Amino acid sequence: MTKNTRSDETVALHSYMQERQTLFCYSGPMNEELLTTMSNPVKHQISDKETQEALSRRVFGVFIEQAQNIIRYSHHKTKSSGDSIGTIAISVIEDGFLIEAVNVIAPEKRAMLQNTLSELSTKDQEELRTLYKQRLRDGPPDNSVGAGLGFIDMARRVSKFEFDFKNTEEGDLFIYRGWVT
Amino acid sequence: MIFEATQRTPLVEIESDRCLVRGECYPENISEWADPVMQALDEGLNQSEGAFTVDVELYYFNSSSAKFLFDFFDFLEGASEAGRKITINWRYRSDDDTMQEAGEDFEEDLSHCCYNLVVI
Repeated sequence: MTKNTRSDETVALHSYMQERQTLFCYSGPMNEELLTTMSNPVKHQISDKETQEALSRRVFGVFIEQAQNIIRYSHHKTKSSGDSIGTIAISVIEDGFLIEAVNVIAPEKRAMLQNTLSELSTKDQEELRTLYKQRLRDGPPDNSVGAGLGFIDMARRVSKFEFDFKNTEEGDLFIYRGWVT
Repeated sequence: MIFEATQRTPLVEIESDRCLVRGECYPENISEWADPVMQALDEGLNQSEGAFTVDVELYYFNSSSAKFLFDFFDFLEGASEAGRKITINWRYRSDDDTMQEAGEDFEEDLSHCCYNLVVI
């Protein structure tokens, strides 16, 4: 972004967020203290009178796991503090919420993420529940980074999730999107 | 021993005959929070030999805290197997399927403790 950002770009940012009903978006360096600070406003945003409490709790659960994934596994860190850089957003959709997360991953992690998430996407709720229990007892598999409980936990809370990878100048982006309805 | 609740950790009260865990659990660093709790639980249990009751009422816990809960129950199960009379009440709100399922899943690994699922 240049210092000559025009006001219509600012309006475009505003309009874009309004249009897609993104009620929370953070993009930048993240750490656990910041997550603590963000948790309350996020909880407030997703807990209005019309939203069932059980739904809000599932959205919150996915938000926390995604944020912690960025904090632990983002390959893009700030030079000064080593904080992980990433983007996390929550938007309103017709019958619930969409939680989106993006961060740079280490290139060698891509295959593991691809395999883990592809496998999880084929499982129904009962199978995910069994896998979660099994992982809890046995601990994470060898070479696991994020292939442990977190992704299974999220898969159990969403009605649908999608993931993708994109090669950019910034690095290999990992994109995770979860729909909670 | 009392561990006051924080935004990301539950209230924990431990005495010689009971333990209460209530709130939300997604600490910044799970072992930093959980290690003193487990130590206090060990000390609490060793203070007497009578019946020991554990009430757990959680509204949310993250995946890292699930591992702590697993170890927490495993520890109680061990004490129960060694002869201590231990009752665990897993308390959950009637509309909270996630906590109900979690309570049911923890029960599967407990055979010596007396375990109750309690709707609140």
